[in-house]
Amino acid sequence: MAQVLLKDLNKKYDEVHAVKDVNLHIRDKEFIVLVGPSGCGKSTTLRMVAGLEEITAGEIAIGDRVVNDLPPKDRDIAMVFQNYALYPHMTVYDNMAFGLKMRKFPKAEIQKRVQDAAEILGIQDLLKRKPRQLSGGQRQRVAVGRAIVRHPQVFLFDEPLSNLDAKLRVQMRVELKRLHDRLETTAIYVTHDQVEAMTLGDRVVVMKDGWIQQVGEPLELYTKPSNRFVAGFIGSPAMNFVDVGIQGSDSSLTAQGTGIRLAIPPVNASQLGPYKGQRVTLGIRPEDLHIAAGGDQAGYVFDAVVDVVEPLGSEILLDVKAGPNSLVARVEPTVRLKVHDGVRLAVNPDRLHFFDMTSEKAI
Amino acid sequence: MATAYLLLAPATVLLLGMLAYPLGWEVWISFTDFSPLNDHGPRFVGLENYRHLLADAEFWRAVVVTVGFAAATTLAKLALGVAFALLLARPFRGRTLVFLAIFLPWAYPASVSVIGWYWTLSPPIPTAYSPFMGTLKYTVDGALGGGAWAFLSVTLFNIWRGSSFIGVFLLAGINAVPPELFECALLESRSAWRRFWLVTVPLLRPFLALAVFLSLTTAFADLANVWLLTAGRVVFPVVGTQAYWLAIKGGQFGPASALSLMLVPFLLAVLALLFRAFDPPAEARA
Repeated sequence: MAQVLLKDLNKKYDEVHAVKDVNLHIRDKEFIVLVGPSGCGKSTTLRMVAGLEEITAGEIAIGDRVVNDLPPKDRDIAMVFQNYALYPHMTVYDNMAFGLKMRKFPKAEIQKRVQDAAEILGIQDLLKRKPRQLSGGQRQRVAVGRAIVRHPQVFLFDEPLSNLDAKLRVQMRVELKRLHDRLETTAIYVTHDQVEAMTLGDRVVVMKDGWIQQVGEPLELYTKPSNRFVAGFIGSPAMNFVDVGIQGSDSSLTAQGTGIRLAIPPVNASQLGPYKGQRVTLGIRPEDLHIAAGGDQAGYVFDAVVDVVEPLGSEILLDVKAGPNSLVARVEPTVRLKVHDGVRLAVNPDRLHFFDMTSEKAI
Repeated sequence: MATAYLLLAPATVLLLGMLAYPLGWEVWISFTDFSPLNDHGPRFVGLENYRHLLADAEFWRAVVVTVGFAAATTLAKLALGVAFALLLARPFRGRTLVFLAIFLPWAYPASVSVIGWYWTLSPPIPTAYSPFMGTLKYTVDGALGGGAWAFLSVTLFNIWRGSSFIGVFLLAGINAVPPELFECALLESRSAWRRFWLVTVPLLRPFLALAVFLSLTTAFADLANVWLLTAGRVVFPVVGTQAYWLAIKGGQFGPASALSLMLVPFLLAVLALLFRAFDPPAEARA
């Protein structure tokens, strides 16, 4: 059990500055997820914690020890790799026992730990097999088992579910979460999948171009994204963005875009006051759009034309056009609309997002 | 079907004509007293040639030298090859140049480089280093018997050229292994030695076995280089050169064939074992 502290962490390769001034305090027993598009520096950060990459500048502490100069073996971490990294020439048992054998644990202790881990993961029957005789999900369990037996201070997961098919990924996601609840070991988990990040993380760290964009609990990132990138990255389908100009008097501001005109709700009015006469980015999540009904105030509706209808069963995704703007609305499955139909949509005025055009920060 | 066989026919004819027929002929001749010096054609003599060889001290000397040569060069090539491959597997400044330096002995035409070696080790004209080389040669020959220097140069040449090939070959092997497998070991042990034996060697086993396979087959067949480096003055006989002397210079085709076939069963057994190592039986796969 341990906290992990990243202080002013930087990684530079010859040409590339992969990780920039990362500061992060990972609490004891916390499950933290680093998420971002490829090349955002999340894996590099994880590998620096593991000791597989040298630190260009900054400091990493695990527990109360600064580990910058410690070899990977002495950092008391266990890592699960994306491609499982199981040894093809060893049985499942030997793969799981590998770390303990390398560390010269007594045989009886190794056996006990491997048995325990196998039981937790439900792979007792596979111990004598070779990795090539296992399915993807089973290999993943063995890889996790190899990490568990070490009883490390910190688990490091590098995209561990990316090689699994969609159904198995959902299943393993739940198992990993259950496992963490049971073992209560600090875990750092890297993924490019925002759904994995949201469902697994106690807290989620969104990264882009080597910078941390935002750190927060999953719902906090969703409801209060600190910038346009986080807003667009978290949530599926992604948030709709519309360029608008802020107009009107202080008491009644409006957001005027091409083909779309919305009143600025009172909650946003004070922050948007200084932007009068300027352009900003308006963000609306698909679920904050609905088919307008009598109860919707006139200022919060706009007209659009249906472009694509995507029925998902539990809901329908409507791709609509309002002027040149393409938007997605998540509507009730009972809605019956065809392509090219006109539709009047209403926004949820409490849940509009505004972003500065140049800094892209939330307003 | 007919078309398939038709298309296969050239390859089949080539294989049968160039490999199966000469081999079959050689096996047959080894049971006869065939010689161009005889007035009569080949006469069947049964196992006479083989029996005669087994009683011949010179034959056993050739066997010991050949097996020793094959084993020593293979071990040395393997050790150097692994070292080269591990060196080149990680990035460092000037890696491309080192790669070229290591690969050049193999890439360079053998006939040219062998002459280079020959002239270096036994300078044909007076040069700055010929007195030194001459002294070295007579010291070695004096200590180990005449021809030792020549044999040593064959061995060195074989190692020099072969370790280059094995190094590059094993590098390809290492590059084919996902880096995570090595990283995973790095997380568990500081000892490079332990990681090498517990992870690198087993992971490279198929490549190592194939390298030994190739090294052994070429060592046993390395007649041309022996010839070029010793100019035919064979004092330390290997099976190949001995058979050559017997057949081409001595006209004794029967005994020569028997001699060259003598080590084949042994070689085949070793190769079969190696073959299993680099190409495990299919049923083990899922």
